[in-house]
Amino acid sequence: MSYAWDFSFLPHYSLVLLRALGSTLKLAAICLAAGFILGCVFAAARTSRYVVLRLLAGAYVELFRNVPAIVLLFWFFYTIPLMTGIGNDRFLTAAIAFSLYAGAYFTEIIRSGIEAVDPGQWLAARALGFTPGALFRDIILPQAIKKMMPALANESIEVVKLTTVAATVAYPELLYTAKLLSDTEYRPVEAYTTVAGVLLIALLPMTLLLFRLERGMRRSG
Amino acid sequence: MAYEWQFAPVFRYAGLLWQGVLGTLMLTGTALLLALPLGLVLALLRLGKVPVLGRVAVIYIEFFRLSAAIVLLYWFYFAFPVLFDLTLDPFSAALLAIGLQAAAFYAEVFRAGLQSVPPGQWDAARAIGMKRAEALRSIILPQALRNTVPVFLARLVDLIKTSALAATIAYPDVVYAAMRVASQTYRPIETFTVLGAGFFIVIFCLSQASRRLEKRLAVGR
Repeated sequence: MSYAWDFSFLPHYSLVLLRALGSTLKLAAICLAAGFILGCVFAAARTSRYVVLRLLAGAYVELFRNVPAIVLLFWFFYTIPLMTGIGNDRFLTAAIAFSLYAGAYFTEIIRSGIEAVDPGQWLAARALGFTPGALFRDIILPQAIKKMMPALANESIEVVKLTTVAATVAYPELLYTAKLLSDTEYRPVEAYTTVAGVLLIALLPMTLLLFRLERGMRRSG
Repeated sequence: MAYEWQFAPVFRYAGLLWQGVLGTLMLTGTALLLALPLGLVLALLRLGKVPVLGRVAVIYIEFFRLSAAIVLLYWFYFAFPVLFDLTLDPFSAALLAIGLQAAAFYAEVFRAGLQSVPPGQWDAARAIGMKRAEALRSIILPQALRNTVPVFLARLVDLIKTSALAATIAYPDVVYAAMRVASQTYRPIETFTVLGAGFFIVIFCLSQASRRLEKRLAVGR
């Protein structure tokens, strides 16, 4: 291998890269928060007594889980300005598309977490005179969250990875910035390798957390 | 604001879209051909008795699982050819990025499948005089593969979704075809609606098949 690596241009762009990392984290944080809230709402709807709510939530999950995220992104990219008159906001587009996409996955994780709680727990809590709200909050939710932690951590990693797709609509996150750097400096190897590395390092704490959660799960059976 | 939907211009370009479908199938199919054998080898190494090879397999799997697919695509298309001084067309770059990553995911599928076979099967095979390789081929693998079919389909869905990203390095898949149709018809919303619906139908059927098989296998046990 005769390629001469040269990272000497990178320090000049440390601010640019830092800002790009900020953009990636901002988009990821919004998508995680919105996706999780959507997941809670639709999981509640999916496990509800009412058929209409169950059907609606089921349709949402199927619709957004079964289409590639990039297709959703492009669809919103063209539809939002034409339908609402809001100008072409790349952050908004990516945030909406990926939140809805992530929300569908979170819904299924939260639903299966709730359903994994022993049905006897519902009966026992009701027998003890818990009100439905307190029953869910104090008895079911703590057990469900414990069961779904590994899946939640895993999906969170997926969401962070997903944000790089926003580069395709020129949202200036890490990957898009790598492209800019490589185009201005003619150093694609260094630019893309750096960004791939930065992304991996950013994901490391989450991965370690996931490993610990998985190990904890195995230990507690 | 009322938007007037017009699908007719999009359907005039149906030929182009079908060509894109072929491109997607080509990429997904060849990526699968690369990922399945490599994934099996990685799973066997990970479960095998040689510690060094097991570590290598773990690092490979975790690295590719943690990398964003689109970052890999860009890296293999823009950086890899410069690094090794060769030329790579979009198909080869996409095949490498998507296939090598899918191998990591399939390695985990195979590992779960292999581990789902009771260890007694190994002992029994040895007791009747089978060698390890023979036991693996005719006793363990058939049972392991049967158990992995639903997850295999779920990963295939992910693979199809990932292959949609290859359009970003100008590989002529169905998303790329849609981008061309959108710019030629000035009907991006309709084009991407058709594209999304097409993906939905295929992926929905595959996910349903996966879920059904999972239930049937659970009953058969």
